[in-house]
Amino acid sequence: MLEAILLTISLDDFIWIIVGLFAMFTCLSIVVLSLTWLERKVLGRLQLRLGPTRTGPMGLMQPIADALKLILKEDIVPASSEKALFWVAPVIVVISAFMIWVTIPGTQTAVIQNLDLGLFYIIAFSVIGILGLVLAGWGSANKYGTLGGLRAAAQLISYEIPIIMVAISVAMLAQSLDLREIVDGQNDYIYVFVQPLGLVLFFIAGLAEVGRTPFDIYFAESEIVGGPFVEYSGAHWSVFFLAEYINTFAIAALMVILFLGGWSGPVLSGNWEIIWFLGKVYVVIMVIFWVRGTFPRLRIDQLMAFAWKVMVPMSFLSVVMTAVYQFYDWPAWSLTAMSSAGLAVVGLLIFKKMTAPSKLVAEVKARREALEAQRRPAASGGGD
Amino acid sequence: MFNSLKGLVVTLVSTMNGLRSPVTRQYPNSGNLLKKHLEPTPVKDRFMGFPALTWDEEINEPYCTSCMVCIRGCPTQCMSAVMKDNPLYEQEKSSRRKIVDSFEINLNRCILCGICVEVCNFDAIVMTHEHEMSTSSRNGDRMNLPALLELGHKFQKETDWIPPTKRAKVVKEDATEVSKASADAEAS
Amino acid sequence: MTQIPENIMPNSEPVEMLLNMGPQHPSTHGVFRMVLWVDGEKIVDVVPHIGYLHRGSEKLCEGEQYNQVITLFDRMDYIANFNNEHVYVRAVEKLMGLEVSERSEYIRVILCELNRIASHMLFIATMGLDAGAMTPSMFCFRGRERIQGLFESVSGARMMHNYFRIGGLKEDVPDDFVHQVREVLDLVKKDTEESDKLLSFNEIFLARLKNIAVMSAEDAIDFGLTGPCLRASGVDYDVRKAAPYSVYDRFDFDVPIGLDGDCWDRYYLRVQEVYQSIRIVEQALEQLPSGDVASSLGRRLLRPPAGEVYVRGENPRGELGVYLNSDGTDRPYRIKVRPPSFCNLSSLKHMLKDSWIADSVVILGALDIVLGEVDR
Repeated sequence: MLEAILLTISLDDFIWIIVGLFAMFTCLSIVVLSLTWLERKVLGRLQLRLGPTRTGPMGLMQPIADALKLILKEDIVPASSEKALFWVAPVIVVISAFMIWVTIPGTQTAVIQNLDLGLFYIIAFSVIGILGLVLAGWGSANKYGTLGGLRAAAQLISYEIPIIMVAISVAMLAQSLDLREIVDGQNDYIYVFVQPLGLVLFFIAGLAEVGRTPFDIYFAESEIVGGPFVEYSGAHWSVFFLAEYINTFAIAALMVILFLGGWSGPVLSGNWEIIWFLGKVYVVIMVIFWVRGTFPRLRIDQLMAFAWKVMVPMSFLSVVMTAVYQFYDWPAWSLTAMSSAGLAVVGLLIFKKMTAPSKLVAEVKARREALEAQRRPAASGGGD
Repeated sequence: MFNSLKGLVVTLVSTMNGLRSPVTRQYPNSGNLLKKHLEPTPVKDRFMGFPALTWDEEINEPYCTSCMVCIRGCPTQCMSAVMKDNPLYEQEKSSRRKIVDSFEINLNRCILCGICVEVCNFDAIVMTHEHEMSTSSRNGDRMNLPALLELGHKFQKETDWIPPTKRAKVVKEDATEVSKASADAEAS
Repeated sequence: MTQIPENIMPNSEPVEMLLNMGPQHPSTHGVFRMVLWVDGEKIVDVVPHIGYLHRGSEKLCEGEQYNQVITLFDRMDYIANFNNEHVYVRAVEKLMGLEVSERSEYIRVILCELNRIASHMLFIATMGLDAGAMTPSMFCFRGRERIQGLFESVSGARMMHNYFRIGGLKEDVPDDFVHQVREVLDLVKKDTEESDKLLSFNEIFLARLKNIAVMSAEDAIDFGLTGPCLRASGVDYDVRKAAPYSVYDRFDFDVPIGLDGDCWDRYYLRVQEVYQSIRIVEQALEQLPSGDVASSLGRRLLRPPAGEVYVRGENPRGELGVYLNSDGTDRPYRIKVRPPSFCNLSSLKHMLKDSWIADSVVILGALDIVLGEVDR
């Protein structure tokens, strides 16, 4: 096995990859620490609270305090759990989360191992994480955990399809699955201008993929109390936590690379362009936090209906639109127009699907007013 | 769709408000990194904290005569008291024939209802503003007479306490003074 | 796993799973336990268990003097303390044939309606949390906090007030009371509007709540539902209008009713009730007469004449009834409470049938139970 690897890549490259992996691990850990702090601060201010304040200036040391606490905490393994699965599940989840980052480039050169099939590789690895969640739910011998694991399987696989389809349509535009070439392909115009539909679909599906509100169904706090994570504590739980934030960061990074032009931006050049990249990613993450602070949670059947009735057809449509545009070699604005029209259709679909109750409300209001009008004279006449 | 977007606007606005003036008041001290206010959030004037006994500054003895009214009025039976003859009465320094010998309130049982204060005829018991009294020992919140008097004395000093029976008189006198003054003003 | 007696187990197919929800569950609003039989995510049957918060309040009342009983009523429905005190105090007053001064009646109504607003704000907050939205809860708690600060300045306690007395009030309100209430009302109105705008018509929230656990008017009456749960089903019944007590007949206010009887109606009706309560308080502040409020009876041992009396009032959760039996001594012979939460909870099994696990949380939330009152 090792020989085979050594045959394909030279020893220098191999050492470089090891160093790169360590660097990646460190960077991602720092990013996760910053994200936990940021999320608590942003949500705090959004809800007119302060967020963490006690640990260091502005609570900046809070993530470190959290990490220390989680590591020092007793790691409880339930007596009736499947020990092997219980131990291996978090490892699977976190490995899949880290492996994605092997090929996500920060700039033209800041990448551990660029792959020609980078996009394909990322999608393949992101599905493996689901396995970890299902195993965690089953292995902890808890009914809430099992329910959560099954919900996770259903939800994540359903939303994987729109992500793949949208990614394919972008790959068709760039004529490559290599992430660096996809960014290079956006030199003239970033793809959000020609594929607004794709961006919206990717954002919604991405939220579902990392289990963010309004799609935090598989660990819904108020229903199944944490789902697959319910029996985990201490370091094991923190590993899930780590994976969740790395995945959020990965989805935001992918969105930036596929639609928002990656690291390209004015003023900076060379490896300094990573500042543009990180800036864009953090803006996307802020939007994710903002959405989390605003929306309630969907129900599992509504979630699945939305995936298969809206997301999947629309993502196929986006592929078809891109194909037609590529085949006939139409000007770019035609794809913009088609995609915008598609976006309008999505909006209408959501509007129609979700506002069915809204219409009912209007009806209720009208009926109530009529009733009030009937009641008024009666009440004034009747007395009690 | 539109309502959801409206919701996003609401949260955006509230974020701006949150950045400017968050509602949270910190405890035990507030303020920001540069300016720290070390005072805890003040309680209201009528706040009912734990009960304590008052100290008559004029005669230097407790107001309490151990008449047991508060003990009978207490819904949770958290108090007990023992009475004794007042030595100061024999010296004709005090008008109280009997005085409290020992008094105990189990603050773990107390439900802070304020009935004891209401029924007391001697202004002897008050609801202080004290509310941070957790202890680590089992008997830590069983307050005896010196502790109660100390607590009450602290409250008296902090709030310039006037006995309720006298307070009513003061208010009446004020009113008569005011009416006199206004009458004078009218006369002049 | 949970042991359940054989006789209460439904005839279950092997595919069904028993899911124990509570007493330690974030969304059971206290220590309530539901044993759910689920087929996948669908609920087949439910066995509710109560009694985890049983403190024997009714029995305790028999050992306390009439004045001391007020503190026990504070602790029954611990979200709407003033409303509870009011009903009990009215019961004793009716037994003794006491007349209460105008001013104290008005202050009682003002405080009760403010407490109703506070209670409904807590409901909106928890409803949002149950459905998964965090922010409305913070908005509503801000408003509730303001009202509780007001209560603190009036009664000296934020929740367990012990402020109403048989025949009056403990003491008069502070001098700047009217001004304070007006200030708080304005802010509370804004808070409610904000969370209303954020939550009520949100598409996801509607999808979660609309057409869930529909109760027809007949069913609602048969189950003995009262309060917002009954009115949401379209029955126009409010004790404040049907049998006006205190000075409620002097105010102009509407009783909002829903027509569908689903969870969203139960939610939105309470939002509307907040605005109606604000209206009542505003009118009461304008009409507030001067006069004496303090009751001298608070300091005396009460001995109401022997007899029995039943008094009811409109609590935020529904109709609270107090049956009081006196044998002429200084302690009540028997007090029986008809708690609205307990009676509303009886419809849970009917509502939960054939719903989803995620719905169970929302349905329980929309019933707005307080376990202190259910178990007493």
